[in-house]
This record gives sequence, C-alpha cells and structure tokens, in this order.
Amino acid sequence: MRKRQRGTTFPVSRRDLIAQGGAAAVAVALAEVLPAQAAGTRFVFANESDYDTVDPHAAFDVGRVAVRLNLYDGLLRWQKNPAVLEPWVAESYVISPDGLSYTFKMRKGVKFHDGSEVKAQDVVYSLDRILAVGKGASSLFKTMIDPGAAKAVDDYTVEFTLRKPSAIFLSVVPEIHIVNRALVQKNEAGGDWGQAWLSKNDAGSGAYKLTQFDPAVGFVAQRFPDHFKGWGTKWLDEIEFRGVKDTNTRVLGLLRDDFQGIGGYLQTDQLNRIKSNGTAQVLEAESMRVMMAQFNMTRAPISDLHVRRAISYAFDYDGFNKDILGGLVERNPTPLPNTIWGVPKDVKGYSFDLDKAKAELAKAQAKIDKPIELAFLTGFQQSEQAAQLLQNGLTKAGVPSKVVGYPWPTIVDKFKDPNTTPDVSIYWISTYYADPHNWVGEMFSSSTAGTFKNAAHYKNPKVDALLDKALSLTDQSERAKLYEEATRIVVDEAAGLWIYNTKWYGPYSNKLKGIVFYPIGSAQEMRTAYYEG
Amino acid sequence: MRTARDIALKLIGDPSAALGLLIIVALVAVAVLAPLIATHPEAVWDMNPRDRLLPPSETYLFGTDRMGADIFSRILFGARITLTIAIVAVGAALMIGVPIGLISGWCGNWLGEALLRVSDIFLAVPQIVLAIAISQTLGPSIENVILALSVTYWPWFTRLVHAEVRALRHETFIEAAIALGVPTWRIVLLHVLPSVLSPIIVRTSIGMGFTILTASALGFLGLGAPPPAPEWGRMISEAREFLPEAWWSALAPGLAIFLVVMGFNLLGDGLRDVLDPRIRRGNPGR
Amino acid sequence: MRIAALILVRVAWLAPTLAGLVAIVFVISRVIPSDPVALLAGETASRAQIELLRQKLGLDRPLPRQLLDYYGQLARGDLGTSLFTTRAVWDDLSARLPATMELTIAAMILAVALGIPLGVVAALYRNRPTDHALRVVSVAGLALASFWLALMLQLFFAMDLRWLPLQARITGFPPPPITGFYVIDAVLEGNFKRLGDVFAHLILPAVTLAIPALATVVRFTRAGVLETLQRPFVTYQRAMGIPAGLIVWKYVLRNSLVSTVTQIGLLFGILLAGAVVIETVFQWPGIGAYAFEAILHSDYAAVMGFTVYAGVVFGIVNLIVDILHAVLDPRGTAA
Repeated sequence: MRKRQRGTTFPVSRRDLIAQGGAAAVAVALAEVLPAQAAGTRFVFANESDYDTVDPHAAFDVGRVAVRLNLYDGLLRWQKNPAVLEPWVAESYVISPDGLSYTFKMRKGVKFHDGSEVKAQDVVYSLDRILAVGKGASSLFKTMIDPGAAKAVDDYTVEFTLRKPSAIFLSVVPEIHIVNRALVQKNEAGGDWGQAWLSKNDAGSGAYKLTQFDPAVGFVAQRFPDHFKGWGTKWLDEIEFRGVKDTNTRVLGLLRDDFQGIGGYLQTDQLNRIKSNGTAQVLEAESMRVMMAQFNMTRAPISDLHVRRAISYAFDYDGFNKDILGGLVERNPTPLPNTIWGVPKDVKGYSFDLDKAKAELAKAQAKIDKPIELAFLTGFQQSEQAAQLLQNGLTKAGVPSKVVGYPWPTIVDKFKDPNTTPDVSIYWISTYYADPHNWVGEMFSSSTAGTFKNAAHYKNPKVDALLDKALSLTDQSERAKLYEEATRIVVDEAAGLWIYNTKWYGPYSNKLKGIVFYPIGSAQEMRTAYYEG
Repeated sequence: MRTARDIALKLIGDPSAALGLLIIVALVAVAVLAPLIATHPEAVWDMNPRDRLLPPSETYLFGTDRMGADIFSRILFGARITLTIAIVAVGAALMIGVPIGLISGWCGNWLGEALLRVSDIFLAVPQIVLAIAISQTLGPSIENVILALSVTYWPWFTRLVHAEVRALRHETFIEAAIALGVPTWRIVLLHVLPSVLSPIIVRTSIGMGFTILTASALGFLGLGAPPPAPEWGRMISEAREFLPEAWWSALAPGLAIFLVVMGFNLLGDGLRDVLDPRIRRGNPGR
Repeated sequence: MRIAALILVRVAWLAPTLAGLVAIVFVISRVIPSDPVALLAGETASRAQIELLRQKLGLDRPLPRQLLDYYGQLARGDLGTSLFTTRAVWDDLSARLPATMELTIAAMILAVALGIPLGVVAALYRNRPTDHALRVVSVAGLALASFWLALMLQLFFAMDLRWLPLQARITGFPPPPITGFYVIDAVLEGNFKRLGDVFAHLILPAVTLAIPALATVVRFTRAGVLETLQRPFVTYQRAMGIPAGLIVWKYVLRNSLVSTVTQIGLLFGILLAGAVVIETVFQWPGIGAYAFEAILHSDYAAVMGFTVYAGVVFGIVNLIVDILHAVLDPRGTAA
C-alpha cells in the first residue's frame, strides 16, 4: 500500500473535494444544514443511473444528459416536441451546395463560467477533443469528419468540412458541447485532453455552473446569471442531480418532497401511486423510444422468413402494453417511432395470433431443433418481462426457447460476432438524434452490422441503397419516401419485432412549473423551470 | 461404538434436531411431489398478465407475481432447484475438498503445506465475492451457480479434514498400523477416513444451508437460474420493484429460504451434538 | 519470541497468498465475455474504433504479460485506474472505505453488545426453555437471507411506517468529509440534527448486517462460558461463597474472552461478505457495493483492487486475531 495513506485518514478524498468544490462546497453544505435560511430555490432530481463523470464528451446517452444540457452549450440545440433544431450559440449557418461544408456564425458575448468569451477556437478544440478522446458521440462523428476538419475562420465563425455529404451531421452538431479551451488545456496531463480533470470539473458556458460533484452521489450546480440566453423573472437557483438506482427510493422521495423530480421509467403501479398522492404530478408527452427485439438473421432457424413471422405473431402485444405496462405505452408496429416522419402509415405490422404463428411454422423450411435464445438486459425489468412473455407465446405455439439475461456491456460484445449474437435480443432504441436514420437507418444498414443498433446483422443491398441515398439527400420529403420504402421491406421480412413507442412520463413536484420536454433531453434541461408560489 | 440406530434415536430425541429433520424431509417430499401438490402446475412457464400481482386468495394461495403466475406453485417447483444446487454443489465440494484435506493432512511435507496454502487462497476473500465473480464470468445458469459454489466451498472441507487428520496422525492405532506395514492408502481409507467422517457429516449439513443462502443471494443479484425458473432468490428480486403494494410476492419465497436453511442448520447442530461432542456448537467457520 | 516468529511466518505467507488470489481473480475477470472497452467507446463505436481504444488501454497484450505488469504495479502500491469511474482505484476505495467501516463497526457493536449477554444467559440456563428458545433464535439468525431481511425491514420501517429512511447514508448531498465517518464528523461539527439523520440511515443496514453475526456471538459465548464453568476455579470460587452473579459476569466471562477474540476474525468475514449484498440493497456507498458494480461492469482494475484490499484486510485481521490468541491463551498452540 502507498505510504502516504498511513497516519492521516483518507487525505485523498478530502483534498479532492476541497479542491473541486472550494468555498461553494462549503456553502452547499451549509445550505443542506439550514434549508430555511439558504437563499434561493433548490431542485433535486433523482436519476435512475449514476453520474460517474461530468465530462460532456464522455457520454452520449440519456442517463447523463443533465450534465450536457445544464452545464454546457452547443452551436445548435434540439428543442420542442416534436424536436426541432434551434440555433443556440450559433446565430445562423450555411451549407455549401455540395453538402460538404458547414459554416456557423456564432453569437458574440457568450460567456464561459469563468467569464471568458466563447469563441470559434473553443468549438474547434471541442470537436478535436471529441474525436481524440473517442468516447460518447465520437463514433458518429468519425463516420463523417476527420480531426482538424473544423477551422476557425475568425473568432466568431467556424467551418466544418465533411468527408462525404451527410444528412445527419446537423442532427449531431448539438453533441459538440463547447468546452473552455484555455481552461481545459491548462489542466491537461500527459496529453489526456484534460480527461482526468474534466471528468470532475466544469469548463462550460451552460445555464448552470457546477459547484459540487461526487460520483457516488451526483452533482450540484448553481445558476449562472450571465448565461447568454438570459433569464426570465423566475428560476431555480440551485439544481442537484443525484443517482438513485432503486425505484422505490425515488418514488417515496418524490412523495416526501425530498426530490422534486425523478426519472420517468416507471411501472403503472408507481405512476398511479404518484398521481393519487397529491403532492406530485406526472407530466406526459409524446416521445420516441422504441422497444423492440432484434433477430439474428445470420443463422437457422431465425434466417427463415416464416420462423421470424411466427415469432412476430407469438408475442402478446396487448398483454404486454396494456396489462403489464398498464397502457403506459403505445403499440408501435414498425422500427420507426409512430411520431416521426418517414413512417409508412398504412403498415399495420404483426398482431398476437397463435393460429397464424402455427400456420407460418408449417410453411417454414428450417427445423427448430434446439431452443431459441431470448436475451434480455439484466437489470431492466421490462425487457425481462417481455422476454418471458415471448417465451410463453412461443411455448404455446410449440416452439422451444430459453430466456437468458446479459448485462449491457456483455451483450454489446456478443453482438460483434454473428456467431455469439443471441437469436432474439430485447431492448430499446432511444432518440440519439431526431431523424429516421437513428432508427431504421442504423438498424438495417449493412455498415452498422454488429453494433447494438443492428444486432440483426441485417444486410440487404436493396435496403442499403435506399438508406445511402436518403443520407445523401437534404430534402425531407424525398428522404421520407426512401425511409418509408425501407421500412416496408423490413416489416414484410419480419426483420425484427417492434413492441411499443413510449410516451414520456415526468414525475415532478406539484409546485414545479416550466418543465419543457423534448425527446433528446428527457426534460432534464432546467433553465426554464421554476417554483410557483 | 455408536450404531446408526443410536444416532437416529438421539437425533429424534433432540427437539430442534428433530424439527430440522422434519423440515428437510418435508422439503424433499415437496420437491418430488411438486407436480401433484401444486395448484397451478403450469405456473412455472405459463403466465397470465391479466391476473398479475393479485393478493393471496383461494385460487392463488400465496398470490400472483408480476407475470400473473401462481407464487405457491412456483415455490414448490423452486424447491427442486434449491435442492439440486445444494446437493450437487456441496457434493462436488466434498469430492474435491476431502481428498485434498486427506493428502495435505497425511503428508506433513511441502506437498501438504502447498495444498493447504492453495486452499488458503480461496479463503482469503469472502466466498460470495469469488462466487459472484465466477458466475458473472460464466453467465447465469443453474450449472454455473453450482460450479461457482463448489469451487469456492471445497477449501472449508480441506481445512476441516486437514486439521482432523493432523490430530489423528500420531494416534496409537494409526502408528501401530504404520508399524505393521499396512499400505498407506489402506490406512487412510480404512482408518483415517472413518474417524473424520463425523465432522464431515456435520459440516455437510451446515454447508447445505450456507450454500442455499449463497445461491439465493446470487439469484437475487441476477446471477442465478434464468427466468422463468422459479428460483427463490430471483423471485424475491423480481418482487422488489412492486413493494410495498405487492408485499406477498416477496414474503413467501423469503420464508421458504428461511425454513429450509433453518432445517439444515438445526439438523447440523443436532448431528454435531450426537456425532462429535468434541466440536462445540457455534463454530460455522474456521 | 514465539509471537514474533508467528508474525514473521504469517506476514511471509501473506504475500504469496495474495499473489495467488490475484492470479485467480485475474484469470476470472479477464475471461468475462463482456467488453468494457465497447461500453467505454460509446454505443455507436465501430469495431476498429474499439480495437484502437483496447490497444491504448493495454488490454490487447497476452494475459500472463498483463498479470506480471499488474504485480509490478502492486509492488509500487498502485492499484490502477478504474475503467468505469476513470479514477484511481485506490482513491475510489479509500473514499468508500469509511462508509463500509462505519456500517461494519455499527453492526459489530450491535452484535457484541447484545450477543454476549444473551450467550451468557443461554449458558446459565443450559437445556432449559430459555436456552432452547435462544438456540432456535440464534439458528434462525443464521438462516435468514440477508437481502430478504433487508427488504422486509425496509417494507415495515421505511415504506409502511415511514419511521426510517429507505436507503442511502444521509439525506441530501454528503457534507465534505473530515474523517469520512459521518457519525464522527457530525459530532466534531456539533451538528446534532445531522447526527440524528445519520443514525436514522444507519439503523436498518446495521441491524440487517448484525443479525447473523449476533447469532454467531451468542453461540460462541454460550460455548465459551459453558467450558469455563467446568473449570476448577469456578468450583473453588463457588465454595468460597463468592456470589454466583459476580463469578459469571466477572471471572467466567473474562476467561471466556479467548474464544470471543477468535470470533472477531470470524465476525469480520461474515460482515464483509454480508456487506456486498446489503450495501447493494441499501445503496450504501461502500466498498461492497463498489465491488458488485465493478464485477457487473467488468471493471478489471476495480475488481482486482477490491480483491487485493479484501485479502489484505482479511490477512491482517486474522494475523491480529492469532497474535491476540497467542497472548491471551499461552496454553494454545497457535500457528
């Protein structure tokens, strides 16, 4: 063991905390002790998963979106529902006719939390950092842009040059969260692009400024009065996002007003408890998060069209959506969420019909001589219950199956090789950007085979051609037709099993107003929220 | 010399040991007869979402779970899984641990020492930590739980047998046998092994209870038998999200674990008193 | 001198035992068929991108080489960096150690403070209804699945009666640590409102953790006292007319201390094993929950760090127990 640990007690954690929080941390601690006297309003959100880092470039998921939306800004931002891309730090942008060059004009006077101004050089550094660090959204950017392809034309103009035209580049520009270049560079250690430092410190310009962070608990941030968007007359002075993995703790905490907001992946039972209690409200909104099963198309018996159709007829969609989930969700018969453009409205999809399932099985060439593996995600009860329900239907249709759970990293690893990919895997495709390509595009393009988006290892030249063409066009109505066509093909081929598109449920304290939901942020952008009364 | 009849009589005479024996006999009976006793024999695989999370009633004695399956029937079938895991895992641990213990105890030389040190390595961290790591590596299934538990439990037998054999090594009847030129394997198998049998039996009984607890913890953590297997630990973890409303779905499987482990522990205690007065009550470990 | 030799031998054995343990866990954790690199690289990373990151992290080298490197690291006192939290494992563990220690010590106090008197009572009323009742209770304590007990206690005291908090160590964001032991910190700062809050959070997990340990203490104490009662000095004191209560609570108990000391090591094992599961149920931010999450995330460095840590702590505790045993009971043939 290291020598310095002897003698004094745990100097490391203490020193770290003081270094990072400073006086603010003490102020927060005092606020905790004397809530009545503490100035200003305070909001505590209990999230399903932990905040293990506050580096905006380290994650590209829903679980840690609060860090990115509240502490950082991008050139553009997804707003509203259905989501639209709004200018944010950028005032405007121009796309070159060949679709390769994007030039953004930035606002002047946008301030980082340390008072320095947000400039084009910071944007360039941020994109280079994303590509160099190789986490979060970097894999999407790498398909279209190279390091050094961003240029600061002047202090307020930044230009991106793509390798090839991409219809989704704009959609992912919001993920270029702008970090304070000077500040991060000052804290770089051994060419790590400041990763060690930024994972627990703040270098942003967002509406809130980090004051305290503990990966075992969460983070606290205080309102940044100089935020470029300005503030209305009411706001939350301090926000705290805490990782609370147990559902019951979150629900009870909300009912006791320990938390003023909690994550919304709840079962009917809990939502009803919240609604009937009276201290809290449940906001609802249309959203885009498709629950589905991916079929491994590469081997028998799943490679047989009729077997896949039989499985699609053997799932009790209503039993799951209406009984188990209590009607919280809507049936979604295609890989595209019902609410996005590009959905072929006339496609009805499959229904629960064991007779049809048996009829399809009779037509199948492939022999089902060993149990079909139904994989669910360990720790996600809905995915497990769906797998069990599918197993139940298959048993009744005369198809043997086994249900196996894998943690997320394990199953992602299995997807890489068609031989280790489970026959059927049940999980979700969330909104990473509001474009049909996020769903049908990445799920059925041969270029993504082996990723979690395309665990089917689906390869169809005809579909590839449609999707590639859709990416190279910019006109939405033209693109919509192509996605509709691709969707029709994969539904007819039963290349997956699509269960529901979920609404968004936001359990919040009754007194909280001004919550704005949009699919990419899960309503965790707190800039507009305030307490009434 | 104590005969089997004496031992049986003594056991039955001890109220708590008799209770333990009774519980275990009942468990075995339930496991064997599950399809006959169960009110909903299809509950192991069939589910009826429309009847989910119903409280205990005449139709569903212990209520229904989140998939609408009858908890009472699932618990009966779960007894089979529990018994299988306990018997096979402890049996395998016996088969690995006892021979190694005999060898290491008999050969006081470097070999014995080395074997003992290897078993020490497995005892250097709590069993459950190693068991979690192993079953996580191999993937969730009953077989892997059994493997993880036997791989981590055998050192207990080794330590026990080693200590007993060391003590016996210089007993007169052993030294006499050596002096008479009896082959070592004969001495070990015919004289040493029978003398250490009593503590082994006691530890086996206690070990069954302990193994059931650890196995259910693995199930609870999601590393045990996959669904729809009615494994008791898994049933509790499935019920967790529906507390406090559906309290019954967590209550019954926990009570089942408690009863069964209690049965093995009581029996083990009774056996210890009857078979081996030298070992005092209350030493479940080292 | 005998004790010095004992310490020397034990310490000498500690290193190879740990090395073996590291090797076993190393092999286990490296064959886990999951890919933390893929997780780290992001959900949409391509295979080539993942391979690149793997090389950067040194996870593409052959296993024996990685193991040797790890031994070298350990020798320098470096437990590596957690893949998942991206912080030094040593820092993660030491930040979480006070939480586990506080919980373990609270449970230990409960178990010893209640267990010893109950054990003495059981011995004094040997084979009488009180003894039988205590015996059933102590056997029952060892038969409860800790995770289930935890849920049941939560159900009654936190969800139903709402007397106690359901989970966590403290309400709200933890205060900047002084010692990291919240009870001590609250006292040092004179903040009694927080002290109450900390105690409220401590009760359920500590009770859950204490129950099997308590059962063990009762059984041990009973056995120890029974043995001591048969010693000649007790008969002598009885004959001298010393009150029975004084004999038992003073002289007999002191003589039974030898087995009580041995228990501490055993108890520690029970408590540390229990902590892995109980910390997970109560979201207690200690090293047990850390270990479980590390295993689930295939966080190699963190898994290894925890194992080494647990091995060292276990080794040291057992060493101390053996030394105490040798000091207290010169007749014994320790080592």
